[in-house]
Amino acid sequence: MTSTLETFFGKKVQIITNDGRTLIGMFQGYDQTINIILTDANERVYSSFQGVQTVPLGVYMVRGDNIAVVCEVNEELDSGLDLDSIKAEPLRPIVH
Amino acid sequence: MLFYSFFKSLIGKEIVVELKNDMSLLGTLDSVDQYLNMKLLNVEVTDAEKFPHMLAVRNIFIRGSVIRYVHLPADEVDVELLQDASRRDAAQAKASAKVQASQAKSQQQKGGHGGGGGERAVVPAS
Amino acid sequence: MLPLSLLRGAISHPVLVELKNGETYNGQLINVDNWMNLNLKEVVCTSKDGDKFWRMGECYIRGSAIKYMRVPDEVAEMVKADMARNKGRPDKRPGGFQNNRGRGGAGPFRGGGRGGGPGRGGGKSFRGGGAGGGGGNPREE
Repeated sequence: MTSTLETFFGKKVQIITNDGRTLIGMFQGYDQTINIILTDANERVYSSFQGVQTVPLGVYMVRGDNIAVVCEVNEELDSGLDLDSIKAEPLRPIVH
Repeated sequence: MLFYSFFKSLIGKEIVVELKNDMSLLGTLDSVDQYLNMKLLNVEVTDAEKFPHMLAVRNIFIRGSVIRYVHLPADEVDVELLQDASRRDAAQAKASAKVQASQAKSQQQKGGHGGGGGERAVVPAS
Repeated sequence: MLPLSLLRGAISHPVLVELKNGETYNGQLINVDNWMNLNLKEVVCTSKDGDKFWRMGECYIRGSAIKYMRVPDEVAEMVKADMARNKGRPDKRPGGFQNNRGRGGAGPFRGGGRGGGPGRGGGKSFRGGGAGGGGGNPREE
């Protein structure tokens, strides 16, 4: 029933997790509980004092119950971003 | 299942989804599943100043469990139909609860109180 | 590639596990089951703030407590290659469901799963939206 994630296969995606982290990587697979595999994953760390920091992570399996949203990254738009100039408070965690 | 069907009727319409981390996303509803996971197209974050985290994103999948509210387009919602369907749903639920209760009752009468299994049921005289 | 296939491929490799409570566990993966429960050996546990460490010979982690896992790059490559090799076999299914042939012992991998529930007949009144939920997404390539 999670057929909606199918269109993300092989694409660059951004996952926002329940604890407010932002992970970006290549979407390699998922299952019915929305566990997701990312390869070449990076975490983007936002801060209100300095630009976005990128932390390389490698291959990640993120558990579905820790996932808030999965976004398809438009690579053209993404490469046009000036991450060093983006300042923002870290996202709040999901509070159920 | 009622709200799943309801949201299916909104596919193609613009909605705003507010998440439980206070972020609000405006986009076109593309699909929805039984858990009310939703996929939105042409998404914009309504407060992009505060949330510049999704500037390079157009299509997004939202886990149903992190949705706080969905703002609906008022003129796309057939309120009467929704009320009707809710009543029918409630009536159906009530009816099936009744059937289950009476089944459980007859089972109890047949099976005695011994939860422990075994064939010591009292055979009803017939 | 299914998440559980990746993890099964990571058996006997080093992995990093972060739990929902923020603790991380580094160790060698001994086993993983269909609920993502894990057995690790030669483990170093790190507290949430990264200031305390514990070594332990072996530990068991309940799948539902996991936030995410990190596995070595080569494991992903290996599992991918395995999948490609298994493609084109007669019982391959389009949905990409993995079988576990050749990995003896583990028993049937995909047990109950979630049934389709009561099905889509539920709301006869809301037929609208042509695309329908479920499988109707046009594939963008």
